[in-house]
Amino acid sequence: MEYIDAANLKSIELNKEIINKLKQCGEVTIQNPHSMHNVATGLPDPGKVIIQGSTGFYTGGFMEGTALLVEGNAGWYAGDNMMEGELLISKNTGCNAGTYLYGGNIVVYGNTGSRVGYGMKGGTIIVCGSAGPWAGQMTMGGKLIILGKAGSKVGESMYKGAIFVRDPEAGDKMGSNVFLDSIKADEEQELKDLFARYDITADPAEFKVVRPMQTGRHTYVLFNPDLKPELSRKMPG
Amino acid sequence: MSNEKKKDFEPKDIQHGIWNKETISEIDYKAQYGQHRIRGCGATRYMPTFNDIMILPSQLSRLSLDTYRESCETKTILGKRGASKPLEIETPIMIAGMSYGALSKEAKIALAKATALTGTVISNGEGGLLPEERQYSYRQSIQILPSRFGFSKRSLEAADMLEFLVGIGAKPGLSGHLMGSKISEEIAEARQLPVGIDLHSHPRHGDAFGADDMVVKMEQLRELTNGEVPIFAKIAAGRVRDDVKIAVKVGADGIILDGAQGGTGAAPVMATNHLGIPTMPALVQAVRTLEEMGMKNEISIIVSGGITDGSDLAKALAIGADAVAIGTGAMVAMGCRVCLRCHNGKCAFGIGTQDPELRQRLDIEEAAERVANYIKAMTAEAVLLAKAAGKTKLRNLEREDLRTLTLEACAMTGIPLVGSNFVFGERFGFEC
Repeated sequence: MEYIDAANLKSIELNKEIINKLKQCGEVTIQNPHSMHNVATGLPDPGKVIIQGSTGFYTGGFMEGTALLVEGNAGWYAGDNMMEGELLISKNTGCNAGTYLYGGNIVVYGNTGSRVGYGMKGGTIIVCGSAGPWAGQMTMGGKLIILGKAGSKVGESMYKGAIFVRDPEAGDKMGSNVFLDSIKADEEQELKDLFARYDITADPAEFKVVRPMQTGRHTYVLFNPDLKPELSRKMPG
Repeated sequence: MSNEKKKDFEPKDIQHGIWNKETISEIDYKAQYGQHRIRGCGATRYMPTFNDIMILPSQLSRLSLDTYRESCETKTILGKRGASKPLEIETPIMIAGMSYGALSKEAKIALAKATALTGTVISNGEGGLLPEERQYSYRQSIQILPSRFGFSKRSLEAADMLEFLVGIGAKPGLSGHLMGSKISEEIAEARQLPVGIDLHSHPRHGDAFGADDMVVKMEQLRELTNGEVPIFAKIAAGRVRDDVKIAVKVGADGIILDGAQGGTGAAPVMATNHLGIPTMPALVQAVRTLEEMGMKNEISIIVSGGITDGSDLAKALAIGADAVAIGTGAMVAMGCRVCLRCHNGKCAFGIGTQDPELRQRLDIEEAAERVANYIKAMTAEAVLLAKAAGKTKLRNLEREDLRTLTLEACAMTGIPLVGSNFVFGERFGFEC
């Protein structure tokens, strides 16, 4: 195990140092991250990185194969465009965690903000707490799993992929162009394996799945007048 | 004369005013479908263009160059502000971003091959990077769009130039449109979409919500590209002054400024005709802003939207652009007749279609040669004008070489009217 004190480093310097240390021993601990942005950008190699503290924006963005653990909170866009590997966040994240996720797994053990998994194309995001509004908006693939409360407009205009929700009220919070479906047996098994892998206690059978409509057409918000003809002051008869 | 005879000689009134055939057909469409209309290409209405400007030739006051025997340099370097490997191209004409999806594979390959014949750069557009495009292109620009269709870290690795796309002139403030007729199995796979869906893509970048975030995003992109690749912000012309200042602040190496005449594969008619400002005044405003900031020599400007010939190029460079981008013009060179029907996917020339039979109509080699010829001829036209103005380098054209033909162009550009030193409106460096 190698240690890096990030207190006086710029993110680009820190990331170069992480890459060097990972080549030497395969496991690195970062101290004093002080909510730095762009930590672990595009890390290209397998290995384990532990960050003792919270991080700023774009934690682990474009990462490719590394297992990154943030022992704290992560700011906006955690794991954006991630290609492979693991990003585990022990507490909460800001909005747009896992946006444009391409591959790999992201686990948020706390809550996450709005638009988690925005435009994700693959991989898996697990939110152990609650997710803000517009979760999984316009996804094009992958799996988003929300154990706590789902925000409004979940799955808005998804194209592909699946959003697993346990919130019993999720059916009332759906976005447009999606429907709520039962979980399939193979999906249950996948969730069971993921939960075991990340020490999450939950029963996959309790989940329902938000899936994209397959009509080939989306409906849009253009002009929908709220008509109240009964309020007209027309004379009776 | 009897009343009946008078009727025979009644002059025929033709409605040139509001209630012309176009207005009536537009209303008919809305009455039928209850929604706005979508079509291909750009604005059809009148807008001021570079044609409202003349170039002053050299006579006794300066020497001209021999049009046919003396050289005029066209080599162009773009994005030298922060990138260690700025983009070097042989002519300041790039192929604008047109997606694989809006265009056929054959059209994309032809355009890429044209860049290899002329030494310039092609932008991939929204639909990801077609492997053949990268294979055949001379230099490759990669767009980072809000949808990120087909985009990954691999895309960054293939880029000689990056464009962080905020908007395009044909539909600024709107997301990409690709109608279901063009989402074939091949396109659906490239974009990870269901086959045949009418696509209205992601409206905003999911990983950069505002200017402050973009500063951090830009640092991330720099790190991922080892600081080598020039990064441009592509913006539609609107609040040019503010947007240019922000682009400079976030650390862009250059700006691609797409005027309201810019085209697209599909857009609401409302957007193409009524959103944004025309290319010429937008360019003036961008240049003026950079000069006020003392950044004109650091930030490259590529301007697009309605660029048709070498005079547009020469005038854009004289105003302060470093290069122009051509989209519709390049399609016309391949055979497009600008029928405005790109959206329905039935392009008779095999350019804006995914229909396997129609695609076969485009001869890739011939189309590539025609686009290359067009770029060569455009460059030669601009060189002709530059030499006549006494320039040994195309980029040495300057605004002092220009005069405006109309009061409107004069007021918009701050360039004096022909035959005078008189300027209306905001100043643009002329002592009047």
